[in-house]
Amino acid sequence: MAVQEVALARAPEMHPSIITRLHELVVTVDHKKLGLMYIAAALFFFTVAGSMAALMRLQLVVPNNDFISPQVFNRLFTMHGTAMVFLVGMPILAGLANYLVPLMIGARDMALPRLNAFGFWMFFFGGLLLYFSYLAGAGLSGMGSAPDVGWFAYSPLTARAFSPGMSTDYWILAILLGGIGSIVTAINLIATIFCMRCKGMTLMRMPMFVWLMLIVAGMILLAMPPLSAAQIMLLLDRFLGAMFFDTQAGGSAVLWQHFFWIFGHPEVYILIMPAFAVASEIIPVFSRKPIFGYPFMVAAAIMIGFISFGVWAHHMFTVGMSSIGNTFFAVTTMLVGVPTGIKIFNWLGTMYGGKIRFELPMLFCIGFLFQFLIAGLTGIMLAAAPFDWQLSDSTFVVAHFHFVLIGGLLYTIFAAIYYWYPKAIGRMLNKKLGLWHFWLFTIGFHLTFDTMHIPGFLGMPRRIYTYDAGRGWEVFNMISTIGVALQAAAVLCLVINLLWSARKGEKAGDDPWDAWTLEWATTSPPPAYNFEVLPKVRSRRPLWDIKHPEDPDWRYE
Amino acid sequence: MTSDQNEDHIPDAIEMPAPTYWPMILAFGITLLVAGLVTQVAVSVVGLLLLLLGAVGWFKEIFPMEKHELVPVLPESQRAQPIKVSSRSVARLQAGVASHRVRIPAQIHPYSSGIKGGLVGGIAMALVACLYGFIAHDSIWYPINLLAAVALPSMAMADLTQLKAFDGTSFIIALICHAAFSCLVGLLFAILLPMLPSRRAAFWGSFLSPILWSALVWATLGLINPTLNARINWIWFVASQIAFGMVTGYIIHHSKMVETMQTWPLAARAGLEARGVMYEKGGEK
Amino acid sequence: MTSADALSRGIESAEWKLPSRRKAALLALILTETALFSIFVAAYVFYLGKSLTGPYPKDVLELPIIATICLLSSSLTIVFAERAFEQEKYSAFKLWWFITIVLGLIFIASTAREWYRLITKQGLTISTNLFGTTFYSLVGLHASHVIVGLTLLVLVLSLSLRGYVKQRHAEHLKMVSWYWHFVDAVWVVVLTVVYIIGR
Repeated sequence: MAVQEVALARAPEMHPSIITRLHELVVTVDHKKLGLMYIAAALFFFTVAGSMAALMRLQLVVPNNDFISPQVFNRLFTMHGTAMVFLVGMPILAGLANYLVPLMIGARDMALPRLNAFGFWMFFFGGLLLYFSYLAGAGLSGMGSAPDVGWFAYSPLTARAFSPGMSTDYWILAILLGGIGSIVTAINLIATIFCMRCKGMTLMRMPMFVWLMLIVAGMILLAMPPLSAAQIMLLLDRFLGAMFFDTQAGGSAVLWQHFFWIFGHPEVYILIMPAFAVASEIIPVFSRKPIFGYPFMVAAAIMIGFISFGVWAHHMFTVGMSSIGNTFFAVTTMLVGVPTGIKIFNWLGTMYGGKIRFELPMLFCIGFLFQFLIAGLTGIMLAAAPFDWQLSDSTFVVAHFHFVLIGGLLYTIFAAIYYWYPKAIGRMLNKKLGLWHFWLFTIGFHLTFDTMHIPGFLGMPRRIYTYDAGRGWEVFNMISTIGVALQAAAVLCLVINLLWSARKGEKAGDDPWDAWTLEWATTSPPPAYNFEVLPKVRSRRPLWDIKHPEDPDWRYE
Repeated sequence: MTSDQNEDHIPDAIEMPAPTYWPMILAFGITLLVAGLVTQVAVSVVGLLLLLLGAVGWFKEIFPMEKHELVPVLPESQRAQPIKVSSRSVARLQAGVASHRVRIPAQIHPYSSGIKGGLVGGIAMALVACLYGFIAHDSIWYPINLLAAVALPSMAMADLTQLKAFDGTSFIIALICHAAFSCLVGLLFAILLPMLPSRRAAFWGSFLSPILWSALVWATLGLINPTLNARINWIWFVASQIAFGMVTGYIIHHSKMVETMQTWPLAARAGLEARGVMYEKGGEK
Repeated sequence: MTSADALSRGIESAEWKLPSRRKAALLALILTETALFSIFVAAYVFYLGKSLTGPYPKDVLELPIIATICLLSSSLTIVFAERAFEQEKYSAFKLWWFITIVLGLIFIASTAREWYRLITKQGLTISTNLFGTTFYSLVGLHASHVIVGLTLLVLVLSLSLRGYVKQRHAEHLKMVSWYWHFVDAVWVVVLTVVYIIGR
């Protein structure tokens, strides 16, 4: 929460005590404070869940290692996956949207400020409840502590008979609470974007970031309820003896998979769309060109949103669906490549012929472009059902989705931190430390995950706590683990940079990047009311219009 | 939220939603309520009480009027600086400038000619393929059934007699596949032809493209349609491709070219009046 | 001059209308609730006829005609109430609103009676078979929404009896009524799936 406290410390003429500051956080309904609280909490959970990943890599560094017991290993990968998706990815996108959307559309706050606070606290308490399982899960009947059923909790492993004790219930309840928080935030975002835009900001003049967040919010509305519904069913199974997923009573274990992935696949796009949103803001500013093909970017994002609801069963090729089903889901999955390709080409088109500035946000975005392309290509490989039969549940799949979520999402989150930190805190992040962060992380990431593809081809399954020597997996696992050390060092650079620059960083001023969207028209950090007078806009780049009166955008739009 | 009359005038204070802890209490209540399921009933009871308390408190916050507080506007010295006019000038990326590699077709074949050509070419190709079926296997249904095997598992496992017999489903599937692909490839022809060195349109369209396409099919057919791959006669296949290419190329090449808007000034494209000639929107340096 | 001035300079104060944030939020809520119900309906349809043991739907379910009539007509009465409110006929408003509540209560009571009959007479509980599992969860989910709706309706009535509800709350009332229409619409789906197709 260091980020937040520093932001408050800059409030005029006062040096409030810690109690006062905490009280302010608890009662606040301000979208900026809530946004920073989301991001701070998400970064906290990120370090926790990241450390869990490091422990798993340590266990796998050599064959036949017994650093961690199999039971603990199961809990580690379950909690790592669950926390990264629900306590890091979702809240960090909620935080960015919360902080930036009202500023970008020229509003003073979200449409429903109290509901906004409610959404944050639901997520926060849900996260605490999930981790509380480590302390309390063992209390009753001494069976297991934290959840250990995998982040997608396949049935029938989650039935009472196979998962006694309360650990699975912790997983259900915590995610259910977080789900309510996400839905509430999505409703709020939709109401804000439709109803709070400043004068002149028509839908087609909104920054791409706002468009993508609108689509993400819509996807959350449709994707979270299937998960909640499935979890309610599982809860009924476990507590009231219902039979939804009880195969002995005629129930279907595959139904859980369908319900889970109807949520789970759109969820992947819910997580990656904010990455697109950030890249679509940063790449134009640092290429000094407007975004290429804005209407097509919007249309492609909407297309991705729609298609994402028709591809879920590609997670289930190995279940044994009909050949028609396999073909259908393979084809729809490959179809996603079309709008995603449009986006990548448009980002390249934006950079083409531009005067590119290689500042830190841009570096991370370029890293994102390369890595996301690789992630997309391995995705298309896995979309071919026969290929998937061979490699499903291997470390190849793990490497693929870590390329999406780290190489894609996390890189743009780093970019967003370097880009908007000056706006939120008022000081620039240190560039030298940032470069250390970028290069250490990039090298570490590629060491870990490029090599991880190969043992997948050689047949190494995911989620195994150890393996025998002599299968040809040793060297790749060793390299993977070494990469983790570099990544950890890189994250340490970031944390130090965040703390150090908050006090000692160079003053940012209102508009350090010579950018064009409305958040740069107010002070850094912005006052509680954002704008003294609500702005009016005539084009997609209102600040450009003022900076270049000889050639404003509204002549062309 | 603000209701000041003169909206460009900077007010002394601005109404913002008042801070409140009730949403947090409500969220905490709900959390305890469900946490009771995995701990003690007493936790649920406390949670329920907090939930009710939070709901009532929240309701009082917004009824009969949403509570606001007045936030004083910061003094002028702490407000945002005026945005300065940039000293940088705008350079535009233009077609024809050295190092700008865009080739923009000034005239194109209408897309409809591509579809038309694709369909007619598809018929020509089908004729050649059926001729092959008739000559080699005494059945015009043979190539049709082979094509249908791409989507029909039953055809993929059929033996020679079944492949030679007429089958309604496979005929329809083959027809759809063939028509769709003919249209798409025809469209591709129509788009690509003006981009290729133009004197040789007949060569490109009739021979080289079918051969390239055949090469692509040769490399991938084993994955897409193993049945067809096992029984295909490549010479006849290339012949049918060339028939397609010649007919499609002929039709497209003889269609009337239409002018694109690509070379028009942007202002003309938008139907607006603007100073000077402006080319692409994207691109200032 | 601040940046905000510069931003707004030269832009005519044309008519700038945005949708109401309450309506947008409520429509979004309805959308997400629809997704929730679809999953339960899908589970019900998926498990139709898959119960290994009885009782089966055709043996024990009866078409809830009176409850349906009550719930559907309550959608009408709430519209009358709204209209009366718009025309500032407050006693008519309270009367129609009260009738809506009574109709909703009759619906809930009839569901309660049905469940009582199923549990005590037919021995069908949530853990009896797949039919019980899916039936109680789908109908129960709907009933819980009716109860939430009734709570809102009662809240509005008690506030308006004490004279707190003013014209500026017209939109709040509309939102309650929209939610109530949604609950009704869901019932039409539940009725069709459970009592007509499922039998």
